[in-house]
Amino acid sequence: MTATLFSEDQRDALQELTNIGMGQAGASVAAVLGEFVQLSVPRILVLKPTLIPAALERIVGPEPVTAVRQGFHGDLRGEAVVVYGAAHCRELADLMGYDDALDEATERELLLDVSNVLVGACLGGLAEQIDAEMGFSAPSLMATGAEVGSLLDVERMDSPCALFVEVNFSLEKRSFACHLVMLLPEDQILVLRDAIDRFLASL
Amino acid sequence: MSELTHAELGGFIADRVEVGVFAVDAAFNITLWNRFMATHSRRPAAEVIGRNLFECFPDLPQPWLERKVRHVQALRNYAFTSWTQRPYLFRFDHNRPITGGVDAMRQNCTFLPVKNEAGEVVQVCVTVQDVTDNAIAHEELAASMAEIEREKAEQRKLIGELAQAQNQLLQSEKLASIGQLAAGVAHEINNPIGFVNSNLGTLASYVDELMVVLDAYTGAHDQLPEALRTAIDAQIKGVDLDYLREDLVSLVTESRDGLDRVKKIVQDLKDFSRMGESEAAWADLHHCLDTTLNVVANEIKYKADVVKHYGALPEVECVASQLNQVFMNLVVNAAQAIAEHGTITITTGTEGEGVFVAVRDTGAGIPPEVKKRIFDPFYTTKPVGTGTGLGLSVSYSIVERHGGRIAVDSQVGEGTEFRIWLPIRYPAAHPA
Repeated sequence: MTATLFSEDQRDALQELTNIGMGQAGASVAAVLGEFVQLSVPRILVLKPTLIPAALERIVGPEPVTAVRQGFHGDLRGEAVVVYGAAHCRELADLMGYDDALDEATERELLLDVSNVLVGACLGGLAEQIDAEMGFSAPSLMATGAEVGSLLDVERMDSPCALFVEVNFSLEKRSFACHLVMLLPEDQILVLRDAIDRFLASL
Repeated sequence: MSELTHAELGGFIADRVEVGVFAVDAAFNITLWNRFMATHSRRPAAEVIGRNLFECFPDLPQPWLERKVRHVQALRNYAFTSWTQRPYLFRFDHNRPITGGVDAMRQNCTFLPVKNEAGEVVQVCVTVQDVTDNAIAHEELAASMAEIEREKAEQRKLIGELAQAQNQLLQSEKLASIGQLAAGVAHEINNPIGFVNSNLGTLASYVDELMVVLDAYTGAHDQLPEALRTAIDAQIKGVDLDYLREDLVSLVTESRDGLDRVKKIVQDLKDFSRMGESEAAWADLHHCLDTTLNVVANEIKYKADVVKHYGALPEVECVASQLNQVFMNLVVNAAQAIAEHGTITITTGTEGEGVFVAVRDTGAGIPPEVKKRIFDPFYTTKPVGTGTGLGLSVSYSIVERHGGRIAVDSQVGEGTEFRIWLPIRYPAAHPA
């Protein structure tokens, strides 16, 4: 399916653009968190919605997860999902400079905050590369301690296919890791493709 | 009147929009403070602009807010807060001074980076949205959901109790029909026992008469001719006549004893299983206890020795068959509480205007957390199908119907005593 929407060149370009965007994101996240951030090379897939839960499961494994969703809009419209393993949520408090044991509300606020930072940095980085304006809506908690497969209600997705961009974060000195997935509906994939074409033409 | 410029329009809207809008520079000095913020904080723009945010509002969560704003500056990106995690940023009165419902305005905040032409973040603008109404609706909904969940849990519990109640009913139904069967069998056994008993009586008197005759013959023995006497002597020796005479009498006596015991058991069964009976009558509780002990003798004889400390009891007006059930429950429970072999002590006596019956065992005892619940209907520590199926709750209600009370005293590892107090007269509704 990838082939039908993206040519080899376009796909390589998208990979590269995302990579540069993520690199910048990594730098600014590192500045905020005060720790060196390791990012995986983004993996890009065009998937039918029904295949998305399986793809998510492949990334995070079978353990129960906590997930935050954040919508983005503007020149590109879609949703980002940040998935955390249960153990890693605890690391966050320490990371963000909270000393005491956290109550549930504070822990969730922290989770939303970190997700916002990651999504903003990654998508902002990409948007900058393709010269797109992007705004964000407030992040919200999708689920806590849930099975990965149950996160997304694929029945309700009406787009025939979605762009699935996966980035994995980890910190050099800590065990903390999380996964960011960017989901774009089909019409937005076309917008992205045009933006890539413009970028390629400008080279 | 000239047309508004674009900037004027923007400024007007930012000032008058029903959303709090303010901005701070890198040093957290306030650079923008719209009408909404001024109204709700009761601090006009002129009073706060140019001043440090935290000086003006010392109640703000400074370390957290500083970090938040720094993130926006560093990442050049939006940040958010939601009332669900942080009810409010500024403690403002809400829009429900009369109807109330919450302590302060619930707020969702958005932090947006204000960039210069070079794309650097020079200020951070914050919008404060009043979401009190949504928050209240959300919380009411959550409360209703919790209520529904609670009711559902209660229903599940009730269904479980119903199932158990049905089980108990089946058990007691079973017991009742066994009782009826026993009564029927007892009745049938009574007839043959009757004629065997009377025959045995006749037999006993025949034996006596035969003995007299035999004695007479024995007296004439020496006068018999030699040859005949020798033959008879051989026969007397052959059957060991002396022993036979002795044993014949005791055989008849033992058989009559045995029959008496059968009669007693049959009578006990009939007494015990008078289930339908509900009229109170004067009864001897010691007789009730003995009857019950006979009926359950089989169940307890290998587990415990029964020691009776019967005091002097007046007759008590009661429904004997129901009290039999109570005594049976207590005695069977006592036997079941004993692991290997122990003692069941039954003590009776008078106390004040009434009487008491105490059943003490040397069994395992009842832990305090179980003790609290032993009289609860449906509470059991025994596997389903064990015990009588009538349980202590039935005993409790029977004793209560008699105007009495039941109490338990138990030490884990030492044993348990159940004590029942009963008034002499059945409660008033029943005329004597």
